[in-house]
Amino acid sequence: MMENGADNPIIVCENVKKWFGDFQALRGVTTSVAEGEVVVVIGPSGSGKSTFIRCINRLEQHQEGRIVVGGTELTSDVRNIERIRSEVGMVFQQFNLFPHLTVLHNITLAQVWVRKRTRSEAEERALELLERVGIPEQAHKYPGQLSGGQQQRVAIARSLAMDPKIMLFDEPTSALDPEMIVEVLEVMRELAKTGMTIVAVTHEMGFAREVANRIVLFDEGQIIEEGPPSEFFTNPRHPRTKLFLQQILSH
Amino acid sequence: MSLDSHDLIPPEPPPKAMRISGFNWARKNLFSSVFSGTLTAILTVGLLLGILAVLRFIFSPDRRWEVIPPNAANYTVGSYPRDDLGNIWWSVWVIAALAGMSTVLWGVGGRVSVVKVVAGVRAAGVTALVVGVLSLWSPAGTAVQSWLVWGGAALIVAGWVPMRLLSEDRTVATANALAALVGLGMVVLWYLHLDRTSHWHLRLIVTALVVIAFHWLGRMAKRWLPDPTFKKVVTMLWVISFPVIYMHIQRNPSVAWEEVLPWLPWAALVMAVGPVAIGLVSRLPREQAAAVNFLLGAVTIFSWVVEWPMAIRVMTLLLTLFSMAAPTFASSPQARKVFYWSWLGGSLCALYFFLLGVASTGLDTRGDFLGGFNLTILLAVGGIALSFPVGLLLALGRTSTMPIFRILSVAYIEVIRGVPLITVLFFADKVIPRFLPPWVDVIGETKALLAITAFAAAYLAENVRGGLQSVSSGQFEAARALGMTTSQMTMLVTLPQALKAVIPAMVGQAIALFKDTSLVAIIGLADFLRVARDVVPNQPDSLGSVLENLLLAAVVYWIFAFSFSRASQRLEKRLGVGTR
Amino acid sequence: MNRPSLAPPTRPPFWRNATFLKWAAQIGVLFGVVALGYVLIGEAAANMRAQGLSLDWDLLTDPPGIQLGEGIFVKPDTGMEAFYTGAVNMLRVAMSGILAATVIGAVVGIARLSSNWLASRLATAFVETVRNIPVLVQVVFWFFLSSILFPVLQEGSSGPIPGLLLVSRKGISFAWPFPQETFWQWGVFLVVGLLTARWAYRTRMRRAEEMGEETRPLTWALLIFLAWAIVGWFAHPLAGAVGWLFGLLAAQVGAIPVLVYQVMLALAALYLAWRWIHRFLESRRSPAGLAKLTDDDYFRMILAGVLGTGGAAVLLLWPGITELGANVFQALLEFCDQKFDFLRTGAPLAIGQPSVEVPGRFAQIADTGMTMTPSFFGIWMGVTLYTSSFIAEIVRGGVLSVPKGQTEAGYALGLRRGQLLRMVILPQAFRVILPPLGNQYLNLSKNTSLGIAVAFPEMVQVGQTMFNQTGDTIQVILLWMGFYLTISLLISLLINYYNRRAQLVER
Ligand SMILES: Nc1ncnc2c1ncn2[C@@H]1O[C@H](COP(=O)(O)OP(=O)(O)OP(=O)(O)O)[C@@H](O)[C@H]1O
Ligand SMILES: [Mg+2]
Repeated sequence: MMENGADNPIIVCENVKKWFGDFQALRGVTTSVAEGEVVVVIGPSGSGKSTFIRCINRLEQHQEGRIVVGGTELTSDVRNIERIRSEVGMVFQQFNLFPHLTVLHNITLAQVWVRKRTRSEAEERALELLERVGIPEQAHKYPGQLSGGQQQRVAIARSLAMDPKIMLFDEPTSALDPEMIVEVLEVMRELAKTGMTIVAVTHEMGFAREVANRIVLFDEGQIIEEGPPSEFFTNPRHPRTKLFLQQILSH
Repeated sequence: MSLDSHDLIPPEPPPKAMRISGFNWARKNLFSSVFSGTLTAILTVGLLLGILAVLRFIFSPDRRWEVIPPNAANYTVGSYPRDDLGNIWWSVWVIAALAGMSTVLWGVGGRVSVVKVVAGVRAAGVTALVVGVLSLWSPAGTAVQSWLVWGGAALIVAGWVPMRLLSEDRTVATANALAALVGLGMVVLWYLHLDRTSHWHLRLIVTALVVIAFHWLGRMAKRWLPDPTFKKVVTMLWVISFPVIYMHIQRNPSVAWEEVLPWLPWAALVMAVGPVAIGLVSRLPREQAAAVNFLLGAVTIFSWVVEWPMAIRVMTLLLTLFSMAAPTFASSPQARKVFYWSWLGGSLCALYFFLLGVASTGLDTRGDFLGGFNLTILLAVGGIALSFPVGLLLALGRTSTMPIFRILSVAYIEVIRGVPLITVLFFADKVIPRFLPPWVDVIGETKALLAITAFAAAYLAENVRGGLQSVSSGQFEAARALGMTTSQMTMLVTLPQALKAVIPAMVGQAIALFKDTSLVAIIGLADFLRVARDVVPNQPDSLGSVLENLLLAAVVYWIFAFSFSRASQRLEKRLGVGTR
Repeated sequence: MNRPSLAPPTRPPFWRNATFLKWAAQIGVLFGVVALGYVLIGEAAANMRAQGLSLDWDLLTDPPGIQLGEGIFVKPDTGMEAFYTGAVNMLRVAMSGILAATVIGAVVGIARLSSNWLASRLATAFVETVRNIPVLVQVVFWFFLSSILFPVLQEGSSGPIPGLLLVSRKGISFAWPFPQETFWQWGVFLVVGLLTARWAYRTRMRRAEEMGEETRPLTWALLIFLAWAIVGWFAHPLAGAVGWLFGLLAAQVGAIPVLVYQVMLALAALYLAWRWIHRFLESRRSPAGLAKLTDDDYFRMILAGVLGTGGAAVLLLWPGITELGANVFQALLEFCDQKFDFLRTGAPLAIGQPSVEVPGRFAQIADTGMTMTPSFFGIWMGVTLYTSSFIAEIVRGGVLSVPKGQTEAGYALGLRRGQLLRMVILPQAFRVILPPLGNQYLNLSKNTSLGIAVAFPEMVQVGQTMFNQTGDTIQVILLWMGFYLTISLLISLLINYYNRRAQLVER
């Protein structure tokens, strides 16, 4: 239906299937994401959203189908896994900062050991990014001393420091209080403006409507409907989409 | 209604705690109910009878406490050649110097309240007085009893007077208090003259002076060096001090240069190859680096097949390990520099210890020159240090996702934890020689150290596993999402968190290990307990004085174990309040 | 939906395949371990051959020519008898020590929490003193204390409590009810009594819960048990019938050829491997059909298959292993058979009192009472007190782990202090206490091996005496390991069982 991504796809998924034991979490997902596109994934709890985006950087292994990221296919080839992980950044719901390191050290760690930068280069980049996410003064604190919103912004800076081509967000705001949600969404909005390819699972409909190029609705491990926000919100075609939108917008 | 800030009642200081009278205190804590009162009465009678029995035992004319001081050398170093005792003193002074430096790090710069100090003095006085008075009921009066009575009284007065003169919140620098304590100890030692022939008191005074001198040196060094660097330097010195002390100072090796010189150039060659290999491996793409490492590994295996000198084999092995770690840990220019330096240091250390390790001892003994408390410390410290890397590997194996590693680790850990230490000691003592060619002679101390290490590693692995499991899976996911390899994730993210979480458990285990070293007495090593149980009570002058000597051993072990456990409790508290 | 066209998939070369690398590393290490073991064992075999030793088990059947300090066979005729004596001695210390250490530990642990200042201080002093001194020092100390400070045994000695307790340098002897040859028959009644008492306890409990009346379940259970015990005391020859059953079974076990057992066990090993693979495949099966198996899955299944067939092959190739198992089982049945007989009568227990005898020049304690030798006293006191100090800390920690809110809620409901402790605190503390308590039981059992330091003939001391005679160190160490691992396993199983039950109650 959409010709999105067809011209210059950076992520291509073809009939991706994934089981946990007997339980099939993904039942054949086919889609693609173009370079610079912002895709928001929504769907009821347990519908496989997280599983899907975790398959994209191989935190989960899909069992059937194919995933190609930036021209590299995800197989058990060690070389490919490493290449993809360093091109795809990920931000988690629970932040997952390293509690034993300072904020600055959190951001420099992977730059030094994975990106092979010198410490001073890495620190420079870290401070620049902290500036960008609005908390340069927290550099020498430990994660435990920051608020949730600040921690999530550090997590974003940590991912960005690796200069990824794609950013994945898995419900980055759902562990946060309302005023902190605003801080984090602001950072994501800025990021989208810079032309970063983003795949985000989020239930912040305001953000989706304003920033996303495309909304994807998941249910029972498959894509029910996808389309640009204008169409998706005003004129949903699938009855499940209507139901889901009713439930979520009635809050 | 809203309150403005000027309406708020300002905080008041809490009411001064009322002094509870002794009578009220007793009613509350000793006679709160009929049951409690009866219990108090029974326990008091029992306690008095118990103390009297103990004192009667201690002051009985049958006891021969005087056999202990002349055996001080046996207790501390066993059968170490008496002419070479200077070596022992040198090792004591090395430790004293490091301890002096470390006092700067441990923050002895703090202050303690005077009230606490004098309360301690008074408590010591009361104890001495009570013991002295009660001992008057025991069979024979000795000079010690009057010492206890008068000394106790003096201490009570000494602890009472400042109470009246000083205000309650006066404090004194901990360093000064410690120095005063050391001074007091010196005076007492001077008076007692433990062993006149070997000038103990003089050397102990030198020890104290070394501590103080290096404390001041440490303070100066701290002004010059940044804090973390100073800490690193001191830690490094501690780490290498023990092998240096045991292999060099105490063993006094005599190196046979004519045997060493022929292979030294080869060793130099391996050392020179190191930077080349590391530089190559850390820059090449993954598969080519793996190929180079494969080659190095093959050379290593080959070196064990053919008759290369042992030192070259060990250094080649070390080089292979270094270059295997290089692709993941040395690929940034800075890390590579660190790696070059570590290679230099590591290979030099290996060379140094190898030279000394194979050299025969210059001491006038048959090799088992280790004994007494010296041996106990060697086994405890050596066991802890060596079991650490092994235990870490086992813990990683046990939590690994790879089934064969897991099965091997679980089997090792559970078998070792299921059997008593003494069987492991016997295994090392009797079976290890069976596995070795007949001409290899492993001394008993080494076998015991191996056994203790193997034993402690299994327990350590279980502790570390607890820590590893406490690291949440989100941490792994974050690390992997950042593109770290498994070994980077383990070294940089998982282990630091896991180890921090299990420090208290590991200290507890270290104390247990210290106590467990006494088991080597059973396989015939002359450790501290063996000296107390067999060596001293079998001398003609002190025949049969086994109970006295065992009590001494119990007290010494107790002092060490108790103070370690107290220190670890304080550490635990500090870790609990620390960052995050 | 758009279907972007993809290049056909390629498989990576094997040296870059993550799964291959993972398994290659594992198999490499496994190979290394096996190779190292092979080399070492080869070296050991060569060394032993050079010394005229061999790795056989003759030491179990040959006369050992040793003498043990105490126990069932003081002068064992075979190595087996010697080890049996050592094992029983070890179990004597371990079981009585566990019992005593639990009681002392519980009392001291609760005393540490007492509001009575003196009691809590004394308990603290006890714990801090005992647990910071090596247990070996304590064992040796108690041994020498009893053999130096206790009164000398003389002809007229009758100890502090005549007829009940005799304390001397040669040991402590006290009155004890000794089982007689009819004890086993009475034992059948005791077991039945125990089972019916348990049943009665449960029914009374259920009734109390349903009807809300006071049913006194504990009294009922005790009375029923006592009734069985008393009836059994006189009627025990009736239980002699059980012996016949055991005899019959023993004959059957011996009649079947070993090959049958071998085949059965080998089939069992194959079946287990097959079942594992089957279940594994089932777990990968989904309604949509069998999920695609990864290389990792194949490696696992192959490993399981290899282990199963390997086990079966070992069982089939070495009949000795199976034969040993069958023989032990048969011996056990025959042993039970001997313990029962219709015609045996007489009281199952008889009280024996301590007494002194003078067979030659020197007085010694006669065999009439229960006697603790100085060796036994040393090892028993040492391990019991040492362990009890740790148990005290565990009990204290367990009680403290119950949240304060529980106490407050209990008081708010009007419970008294005793009731609160019994009904609210202890059941909750028990769950926390149980796992570390089990660990302490294990530690105590392993520490009994220090008996060697005071010449108490437990497993390790017997083993050392044996290999000093024969030089068969490897065999002895294997026996030790088997023994202690079995004990450890049994204790952990028991603790796990109770632990699971305690955890279930929670829900
Ligand atoms: N590691 C796992 N093992 C077993 N089942 C899993 C695992 N991870 C996810 N699942 C199951 O897969 C399904 C999809 O999970 P997923 O986390 O992708 O859902 P989601 O859409 O992200 O839901 P939510 O909005 O609650 O985060 C769920 O039913 C979940 O129970
Ligand atoms: Mg999710």
